Amino acid sequence: MLIEFLPALLQGLATTVAIATSSILGCAGVSIVLGMARRTKFAPVSVGAGSLIELLRGASVLIYLFWVYYALPLVPGMPRLSPLVVSVLVLSLVAGAYGAEIVVAGVDAVPKGQAEAASTLGLSKYQTFVTVVLPQALTQIVPAFASLAIDMVKWTAIVSFVGVQDLLAIANNIRVISYSTVGVYAGVALIYLGLCLVTSYLFRLLERTLPLNRALEAGRATAASSGMSTLVVQP
Amino acid sequence: MTWDWTYAASIMPDLMFGVFVTVLVTVACSVLALLGGLLIAIAQVTTGRAGHRATRVIIEFFRGVPILVLLYFGYYALPEIGVLLPGYAVGVIVLGVVYAAYCSEVYRGALMTIPSGLRDAAAALGLSTFATWYLVLIPIAVRKSLPALVNYVLVLYKQSSFLFAIGVPVLLAQAQLAGYQSFRYLEPYTIAGVLYVLMNVPFVLYQRRFGIKTRGGLS
Repeated sequence: MLIEFLPALLQGLATTVAIATSSILGCAGVSIVLGMARRTKFAPVSVGAGSLIELLRGASVLIYLFWVYYALPLVPGMPRLSPLVVSVLVLSLVAGAYGAEIVVAGVDAVPKGQAEAASTLGLSKYQTFVTVVLPQALTQIVPAFASLAIDMVKWTAIVSFVGVQDLLAIANNIRVISYSTVGVYAGVALIYLGLCLVTSYLFRLLERTLPLNRALEAGRATAASSGMSTLVVQP
Repeated sequence: MTWDWTYAASIMPDLMFGVFVTVLVTVACSVLALLGGLLIAIAQVTTGRAGHRATRVIIEFFRGVPILVLLYFGYYALPEIGVLLPGYAVGVIVLGVVYAAYCSEVYRGALMTIPSGLRDAAAALGLSTFATWYLVLIPIAVRKSLPALVNYVLVLYKQSSFLFAIGVPVLLAQAQLAGYQSFRYLEPYTIAGVLYVLMNVPFVLYQRRFGIKTRGGLS
Protein backbone atom coordinates (compact mmCIF):
# COMPACT_ATOMS: atom_id res chain seq x y z
CA MET A 1 0.00 0.00 0.00
CA LEU A 2 2.90 2.29 0.72
CA ILE A 3 4.51 1.20 -2.54
CA GLU A 4 2.68 3.91 -4.48
CA PHE A 5 4.58 6.54 -2.50
CA LEU A 6 7.93 5.04 -3.39
CA PRO A 7 8.77 7.49 -6.22
CA ALA A 8 8.06 10.48 -3.97
CA LEU A 9 10.10 8.92 -1.19
CA LEU A 10 13.02 8.30 -3.54
CA GLN A 11 12.88 11.91 -4.64
CA GLY A 12 13.05 12.98 -1.02
CA LEU A 13 15.95 10.61 -0.49
CA ALA A 14 17.77 12.18 -3.45
CA THR A 15 17.28 15.64 -1.95
CA THR A 16 18.55 14.45 1.42
CA VAL A 17 21.60 12.84 -0.16
CA ALA A 18 22.31 15.99 -2.21
CA ILE A 19 22.06 18.25 0.84
CA ALA A 20 24.14 15.89 2.95
CA THR A 21 26.86 15.58 0.30
CA SER A 22 27.12 19.28 -0.40
CA SER A 23 27.07 20.27 3.25
CA ILE A 24 29.68 17.65 4.16
CA LEU A 25 31.93 19.04 1.42
CA GLY A 26 31.14 22.59 2.50
CA CYS A 27 31.82 21.65 6.11
CA ALA A 28 35.22 20.25 5.11
CA GLY A 29 36.10 23.57 3.48
CA VAL A 30 34.85 25.64 6.41
CA SER A 31 36.68 23.35 8.87
CA ILE A 32 40.00 23.80 7.11
CA VAL A 33 39.66 27.58 6.73
CA LEU A 34 38.43 28.14 10.31
CA GLY A 35 40.88 25.62 11.74
CA MET A 36 43.87 27.16 10.03
CA ALA A 37 42.69 30.66 10.93
CA ARG A 38 42.44 29.48 14.54
CA ARG A 39 46.02 28.24 14.44
CA THR A 40 47.69 31.32 12.90
CA LYS A 41 50.00 33.34 15.10
CA PHE A 42 48.38 36.60 14.00
CA ALA A 43 46.19 37.28 17.04
CA PRO A 44 43.26 39.18 15.46
CA VAL A 45 42.65 36.35 13.01
CA SER A 46 43.00 33.52 15.50
CA VAL A 47 40.89 35.27 18.16
CA GLY A 48 38.26 36.14 15.54
CA ALA A 49 38.14 32.55 14.30
CA GLY A 50 37.99 31.30 17.90
CA SER A 51 35.07 33.57 18.75
CA LEU A 52 33.23 32.54 15.59
CA ILE A 53 33.75 28.88 16.45
CA GLU A 54 32.45 29.41 19.99
CA LEU A 55 29.45 31.35 18.69
CA LEU A 56 28.52 28.70 16.14
CA ARG A 57 28.90 25.95 18.72
CA GLY A 58 26.91 27.91 21.26
CA ALA A 59 23.44 26.99 20.05
CA SER A 60 21.94 24.11 18.17
CA VAL A 61 22.04 24.14 14.38
CA LEU A 62 18.26 24.45 14.44
CA ILE A 63 18.47 27.92 15.99
CA TYR A 64 20.86 29.10 13.30
CA LEU A 65 18.71 27.60 10.56
CA PHE A 66 15.63 29.47 11.81
CA TRP A 67 17.53 32.65 12.36
CA VAL A 68 19.13 32.72 8.91
CA TYR A 69 15.90 31.75 7.18
CA TYR A 70 13.35 33.83 9.07
CA ALA A 71 15.19 36.65 10.82
CA LEU A 72 18.20 37.47 8.64
CA PRO A 73 16.19 38.69 5.60
CA LEU A 74 14.48 41.22 7.90
CA VAL A 75 17.80 42.92 8.62
CA PRO A 76 18.09 45.80 6.11
CA GLY A 77 20.39 44.97 3.22
CA MET A 78 20.39 41.23 3.83
CA PRO A 79 19.33 38.85 1.06
CA ARG A 80 16.44 36.40 1.17
CA LEU A 81 18.05 33.09 0.33
CA SER A 82 16.31 30.01 -1.01
CA PRO A 83 15.57 27.21 1.48
CA LEU A 84 18.09 24.92 -0.15
CA VAL A 85 20.88 27.51 -0.02
CA VAL A 86 20.09 28.37 3.62
CA SER A 87 20.13 24.70 4.57
CA VAL A 88 23.48 23.91 2.99
CA LEU A 89 24.99 27.18 4.21
CA VAL A 90 23.91 26.77 7.83
CA LEU A 91 24.78 23.08 8.03
CA SER A 92 28.23 23.71 6.51
CA LEU A 93 28.99 26.65 8.78
CA VAL A 94 27.80 25.16 12.06
CA ALA A 95 29.32 21.74 11.44
CA GLY A 96 32.44 23.52 10.15
CA ALA A 97 32.87 25.09 13.58
CA TYR A 98 33.02 21.59 15.07
CA GLY A 99 35.23 20.42 12.20
CA ALA A 100 37.65 23.30 12.81
CA GLU A 101 38.42 21.92 16.26
CA ILE A 102 39.06 18.52 14.69
CA VAL A 103 41.50 20.12 12.24
CA VAL A 104 43.25 22.06 15.01
CA ALA A 105 43.57 18.96 17.20
CA GLY A 106 44.79 16.86 14.29
CA VAL A 107 47.49 19.33 13.23
CA ASP A 108 48.57 19.89 16.83
CA ALA A 109 48.92 16.14 17.30
CA VAL A 110 51.73 15.91 14.74
CA PRO A 111 55.00 16.00 16.71
CA LYS A 112 56.83 19.36 16.44
CA GLY A 113 60.04 17.59 15.48
CA GLN A 114 58.53 16.68 12.12
CA ALA A 115 58.08 20.30 11.09
CA GLU A 116 61.49 21.22 12.53
CA ALA A 117 63.18 18.42 10.60
CA ALA A 118 61.43 19.51 7.42
CA SER A 119 62.58 23.10 7.81
CA THR A 120 66.12 21.88 8.56
CA LEU A 121 66.01 20.06 5.24
CA GLY A 122 65.24 23.41 3.63
CA LEU A 123 61.54 22.94 2.93
CA SER A 124 59.48 26.11 2.82
CA LYS A 125 56.67 26.62 5.33
CA TYR A 126 54.08 25.74 2.71
CA GLN A 127 56.00 22.64 1.58
CA THR A 128 56.45 21.56 5.18
CA PHE A 129 52.76 21.81 5.85
CA VAL A 130 51.52 20.18 2.67
CA THR A 131 54.06 17.37 2.33
CA VAL A 132 54.99 16.61 5.94
CA VAL A 133 52.47 17.81 8.51
CA LEU A 134 49.17 17.48 6.66
CA PRO A 135 49.56 13.84 5.53
CA GLN A 136 50.18 12.83 9.15
CA ALA A 137 47.44 15.06 10.54
CA LEU A 138 44.89 13.57 8.12
CA THR A 139 45.26 10.20 9.81
CA GLN A 140 43.77 11.82 12.92
CA ILE A 141 41.41 14.21 11.19
CA VAL A 142 39.57 11.86 8.84
CA PRO A 143 38.21 9.37 11.42
CA ALA A 144 36.96 12.22 13.61
CA PHE A 145 35.50 13.91 10.57
CA ALA A 146 33.73 10.68 9.68
CA SER A 147 31.66 10.76 12.84
CA LEU A 148 30.91 14.44 12.22
CA ALA A 149 29.73 13.55 8.71
CA ILE A 150 27.46 10.83 10.07
CA ASP A 151 25.98 13.35 12.47
CA MET A 152 25.47 15.72 9.57
CA VAL A 153 23.53 13.11 7.62
CA LYS A 154 21.12 12.89 10.54
CA TRP A 155 21.03 16.65 10.87
CA THR A 156 19.80 17.14 7.33
CA ALA A 157 16.40 16.11 8.69
CA ILE A 158 15.95 19.63 10.08
CA VAL A 159 15.83 21.23 6.63
CA SER A 160 12.18 20.15 6.39
CA PHE A 161 11.43 23.09 8.72
CA VAL A 162 12.38 25.66 6.10
CA GLY A 163 10.39 24.00 3.36
CA VAL A 164 12.94 21.77 1.67
CA GLN A 165 11.23 18.61 0.43
CA ASP A 166 13.72 16.18 1.89
CA LEU A 167 13.12 12.62 3.02
CA LEU A 168 11.50 13.61 6.30
CA ALA A 169 9.28 16.28 4.72
CA ILE A 170 8.02 13.77 2.15
CA ALA A 171 7.44 11.24 4.92
CA ASN A 172 5.38 13.79 6.81
CA ASN A 173 3.27 14.38 3.71
CA ILE A 174 2.80 10.67 3.18
CA ARG A 175 1.72 10.28 6.79
CA VAL A 176 -0.99 12.86 6.30
CA ILE A 177 -2.25 11.21 3.10
CA SER A 178 -1.93 7.55 3.98
CA TYR A 179 -2.59 7.43 7.75
CA SER A 180 -0.06 4.60 8.04
CA THR A 181 2.11 6.49 10.49
CA VAL A 182 4.00 3.58 11.98
CA GLY A 183 5.09 2.15 8.63
CA VAL A 184 6.16 5.50 7.22
CA TYR A 185 8.33 6.52 10.14
CA ALA A 186 9.77 3.05 10.65
CA GLY A 187 10.74 2.98 6.97
CA VAL A 188 12.26 6.45 7.12
CA ALA A 189 14.19 5.53 10.26
CA LEU A 190 15.66 2.53 8.46
CA ILE A 191 16.59 4.64 5.42
CA TYR A 192 18.44 7.13 7.63
CA LEU A 193 20.17 4.27 9.40
CA GLY A 194 21.24 2.94 6.00
CA LEU A 195 22.52 6.36 4.96
CA CYS A 196 24.62 6.57 8.13
CA LEU A 197 26.06 3.12 7.47
CA VAL A 198 26.92 4.07 3.88
CA THR A 199 28.59 7.28 5.06
CA SER A 200 30.61 5.38 7.62
CA TYR A 201 31.63 2.82 4.97
CA LEU A 202 32.69 5.53 2.50
CA PHE A 203 34.83 7.20 5.14
CA ARG A 204 36.46 3.91 6.00
CA LEU A 205 37.39 3.55 2.33
CA LEU A 206 38.76 7.09 2.39
CA GLU A 207 40.79 6.32 5.50
CA ARG A 208 42.47 3.46 3.72
CA THR A 209 43.74 5.79 0.99
CA LEU A 210 45.40 8.20 3.44
CA PRO A 211 49.19 8.45 2.92
CA LEU A 212 50.19 7.42 6.43
CA ASN A 213 47.76 4.50 6.57
CA ARG A 214 48.94 3.31 3.15
CA ALA A 215 52.54 3.52 4.31
CA LEU A 216 51.72 1.55 7.46
CA GLU A 217 49.92 -1.08 5.43
CA ALA A 218 52.81 -1.34 2.97
CA GLY A 219 55.19 -1.67 5.90
CA ARG A 220 53.07 -4.45 7.35
CA ALA A 221 52.91 -6.19 3.98
CA THR A 222 56.69 -6.14 3.50
CA ALA A 223 57.23 -7.30 7.07
CA ALA A 224 54.88 -10.19 6.45
CA SER A 225 56.46 -11.13 3.13
CA SER A 226 60.01 -10.90 4.49
CA GLY A 227 58.93 -13.00 7.45
CA MET A 228 57.58 -15.53 4.98
CA SER A 229 60.80 -15.54 2.98
CA THR A 230 62.95 -16.21 6.03
CA LEU A 231 60.63 -19.09 6.86
CA VAL A 232 61.06 -20.43 3.36
CA VAL A 233 64.81 -19.93 3.26
CA GLN A 234 65.65 -21.34 6.67
CA PRO A 235 65.12 -25.06 6.11
CA MET B 1 12.30 46.12 9.47
CA THR B 2 14.26 47.67 12.30
CA TRP B 3 14.76 46.48 15.82
CA ASP B 4 11.87 47.35 18.14
CA TRP B 5 12.89 47.45 21.80
CA THR B 6 9.39 47.79 23.24
CA TYR B 7 8.27 44.74 21.29
CA ALA B 8 11.40 42.88 22.38
CA ALA B 9 10.60 43.71 25.99
CA SER B 10 6.98 42.65 25.60
CA ILE B 11 7.89 39.12 24.49
CA MET B 12 10.52 38.60 27.20
CA PRO B 13 8.12 36.93 29.69
CA ASP B 14 7.14 34.34 27.08
CA LEU B 15 10.76 33.73 26.16
CA MET B 16 11.77 33.38 29.80
CA PHE B 17 9.13 30.69 30.19
CA GLY B 18 10.83 28.99 27.24
CA VAL B 19 14.14 29.24 29.07
CA PHE B 20 12.56 27.64 32.13
CA VAL B 21 11.13 24.77 30.07
CA THR B 22 14.46 24.31 28.28
CA VAL B 23 16.28 23.97 31.58
CA LEU B 24 13.60 21.65 32.95
CA VAL B 25 13.68 19.40 29.89
CA THR B 26 17.48 19.38 29.86
CA VAL B 27 17.61 18.29 33.49
CA ALA B 28 14.99 15.57 32.98
CA CYS B 29 16.70 14.23 29.85
CA SER B 30 20.10 14.32 31.52
CA VAL B 31 18.89 12.27 34.48
CA LEU B 32 17.39 9.69 32.12
CA ALA B 33 20.44 9.62 29.85
CA LEU B 34 23.02 9.42 32.64
CA LEU B 35 21.22 6.70 34.61
CA GLY B 36 20.02 4.81 31.53
CA GLY B 37 23.47 4.88 29.99
CA LEU B 38 24.97 3.39 33.13
CA LEU B 39 22.38 0.60 33.17
CA ILE B 40 22.96 -0.17 29.49
CA ALA B 41 26.73 -0.27 30.03
CA ILE B 42 26.37 -2.61 33.00
CA ALA B 43 24.00 -4.82 31.03
CA GLN B 44 26.45 -4.89 28.16
CA VAL B 45 29.39 -5.82 30.34
CA THR B 46 27.64 -8.46 32.43
CA THR B 47 25.43 -10.36 29.97
CA GLY B 48 28.03 -12.06 27.86
CA ARG B 49 28.17 -12.23 24.10
CA ALA B 50 24.45 -12.47 23.25
CA GLY B 51 23.51 -9.57 25.51
CA HIS B 52 26.41 -7.58 24.22
CA ARG B 53 25.22 -8.04 20.62
CA ALA B 54 21.63 -7.17 21.48
CA THR B 55 22.55 -3.94 23.26
CA ARG B 56 24.97 -3.13 20.43
CA VAL B 57 22.14 -3.28 17.88
CA ILE B 58 19.90 -1.08 20.02
CA ILE B 59 22.68 1.46 20.57
CA GLU B 60 23.53 1.62 16.86
CA PHE B 61 19.87 2.11 16.03
CA PHE B 62 19.45 5.07 18.34
CA ARG B 63 22.69 6.60 17.15
CA GLY B 64 21.87 6.22 13.47
CA VAL B 65 18.36 7.66 13.32
CA PRO B 66 17.72 11.43 13.39
CA ILE B 67 16.14 12.68 16.60
CA LEU B 68 13.36 14.31 14.62
CA VAL B 69 12.29 10.97 13.14
CA LEU B 70 12.22 9.41 16.61
CA LEU B 71 10.28 12.36 17.99
CA TYR B 72 7.69 12.12 15.21
CA PHE B 73 7.51 8.39 15.71
CA GLY B 74 6.83 8.82 19.41
CA TYR B 75 4.38 11.64 18.88
CA TYR B 76 2.42 10.51 15.81
CA ALA B 77 3.02 6.77 15.45
CA LEU B 78 2.90 5.50 19.03
CA PRO B 79 -0.71 6.65 19.60
CA GLU B 80 -1.65 4.51 16.62
CA ILE B 81 -0.46 1.43 18.42
CA GLY B 82 -2.18 2.47 21.61
CA VAL B 83 0.52 4.42 23.46
CA LEU B 84 -0.67 7.98 23.96
CA LEU B 85 1.92 10.17 25.65
CA PRO B 86 2.01 13.95 26.06
CA GLY B 87 4.64 15.87 24.10
CA TYR B 88 6.78 16.50 27.17
CA ALA B 89 7.00 12.79 27.90
CA VAL B 90 7.78 11.83 24.29
CA GLY B 91 10.47 14.49 24.08
CA VAL B 92 12.15 13.62 27.36
CA ILE B 93 12.02 9.89 26.69
CA VAL B 94 13.35 10.15 23.13
CA LEU B 95 16.23 12.51 23.99
CA GLY B 96 16.92 10.58 27.20
CA VAL B 97 17.07 7.21 25.47
CA VAL B 98 19.15 8.44 22.52
CA TYR B 99 21.71 10.02 24.81
CA ALA B 100 21.61 7.03 27.13
CA ALA B 101 22.90 5.11 24.12
CA TYR B 102 25.70 7.65 23.66
CA CYS B 103 26.54 7.78 27.37
CA SER B 104 26.60 3.99 27.67
CA GLU B 105 29.62 3.98 25.35
CA VAL B 106 31.40 6.36 27.70
CA TYR B 107 30.61 4.25 30.76
CA ARG B 108 31.58 1.06 28.96
CA GLY B 109 34.94 2.56 28.02
CA ALA B 110 35.49 3.58 31.65
CA LEU B 111 34.45 0.15 32.95
CA MET B 112 36.86 -1.56 30.59
CA THR B 113 39.79 0.49 31.83
CA ILE B 114 39.23 -0.50 35.47
CA PRO B 115 42.05 -2.91 36.34
CA SER B 116 40.82 -6.44 36.98
CA GLY B 117 42.80 -6.44 40.23
CA LEU B 118 40.08 -4.29 41.76
CA ARG B 119 37.47 -6.95 41.06
CA ASP B 120 39.79 -9.56 42.53
CA ALA B 121 40.32 -7.41 45.59
CA ALA B 122 36.58 -6.96 46.00
CA ALA B 123 36.10 -10.70 45.71
CA ALA B 124 38.91 -11.32 48.20
CA LEU B 125 37.18 -9.01 50.67
CA GLY B 126 34.05 -11.11 50.26
CA LEU B 127 31.94 -8.35 48.71
CA SER B 128 28.79 -9.55 47.01
CA THR B 129 28.35 -8.87 43.29
CA PHE B 130 25.95 -6.07 44.08
CA ALA B 131 28.32 -4.49 46.59
CA THR B 132 31.22 -4.80 44.17
CA TRP B 133 29.32 -2.86 41.55
CA TYR B 134 27.69 -0.40 43.91
CA LEU B 135 30.69 0.40 46.10
CA VAL B 136 33.65 -0.14 43.78
CA LEU B 137 33.06 -0.31 40.06
CA ILE B 138 30.28 2.22 39.52
CA PRO B 139 31.88 5.06 41.53
CA ILE B 140 35.17 4.63 39.67
CA ALA B 141 33.51 4.38 36.26
CA VAL B 142 31.38 7.46 36.93
CA ARG B 143 34.37 9.50 38.03
CA LYS B 144 36.33 8.49 34.96
CA SER B 145 33.41 9.29 32.66
CA LEU B 146 32.51 12.64 34.17
CA PRO B 147 34.19 14.98 31.63
CA ALA B 148 32.62 13.21 28.66
CA LEU B 149 29.26 13.05 30.43
CA VAL B 150 29.25 16.80 31.09
CA ASN B 151 29.79 17.15 27.38
CA TYR B 152 26.71 15.13 26.63
CA VAL B 153 24.65 17.21 29.04
CA LEU B 154 25.77 20.25 27.06
CA VAL B 155 24.78 18.53 23.82
CA LEU B 156 21.42 17.57 25.34
CA TYR B 157 20.80 21.17 26.30
CA LYS B 158 21.36 22.25 22.71
CA GLN B 159 19.31 19.38 21.29
CA SER B 160 16.39 20.19 23.58
CA SER B 161 15.46 22.88 21.04
CA PHE B 162 14.34 20.03 18.75
CA LEU B 163 11.38 19.41 21.04
CA PHE B 164 9.60 22.42 19.56
CA ALA B 165 8.74 20.07 16.68
CA ILE B 166 6.28 18.20 18.88
CA GLY B 167 4.89 21.24 20.64
CA VAL B 168 6.97 21.33 23.81
CA PRO B 169 7.27 25.04 24.70
CA VAL B 170 11.06 25.20 24.77
CA LEU B 171 12.75 28.54 24.05
CA LEU B 172 12.73 28.04 20.28
CA ALA B 173 9.02 27.16 20.30
CA GLN B 174 8.22 30.25 22.37
CA ALA B 175 10.19 32.43 19.95
CA GLN B 176 8.34 30.92 17.02
CA LEU B 177 5.00 31.48 18.73
CA ALA B 178 5.83 35.12 19.48
CA GLY B 179 6.81 35.57 15.84
CA TYR B 180 3.58 34.05 14.56
CA GLN B 181 1.42 36.20 16.78
CA SER B 182 2.95 39.51 15.77
CA PHE B 183 4.47 38.77 12.36
CA ARG B 184 7.77 40.05 13.72
CA TYR B 185 10.44 37.39 13.54
CA LEU B 186 13.64 39.38 13.91
CA GLU B 187 13.39 40.09 17.63
CA PRO B 188 12.15 36.72 18.95
CA TYR B 189 14.61 34.61 16.98
CA THR B 190 17.54 36.91 17.69
CA ILE B 191 16.83 37.08 21.43
CA ALA B 192 16.32 33.32 21.53
CA GLY B 193 19.63 32.76 19.76
CA VAL B 194 21.47 35.09 22.12
CA LEU B 195 19.89 33.40 25.14
CA TYR B 196 20.81 29.94 23.86
CA VAL B 197 24.43 31.02 23.38
CA LEU B 198 24.58 32.80 26.76
CA MET B 199 23.17 29.81 28.63
CA ASN B 200 26.18 27.85 27.40
CA VAL B 201 28.56 30.00 29.37
CA PRO B 202 28.26 28.13 32.69
CA PHE B 203 29.05 24.84 30.94
CA VAL B 204 32.03 26.30 29.12
CA LEU B 205 33.35 27.86 32.35
CA TYR B 206 32.95 24.52 34.10
CA GLN B 207 34.88 22.78 31.36
CA ARG B 208 37.62 25.42 31.38
CA ARG B 209 37.93 25.21 35.13
CA PHE B 210 38.51 21.50 35.08
CA GLY B 211 40.71 21.73 32.01
CA ILE B 212 38.46 19.49 29.99
CA LYS B 213 39.83 19.28 26.48
CA THR B 214 37.43 16.87 24.82
CA ARG B 215 34.72 19.18 23.59
CA GLY B 216 31.29 17.94 22.77
CA GLY B 217 30.41 16.86 19.27
CA LEU B 218 27.47 17.69 17.17
CA SER B 219 24.98 15.12 18.24
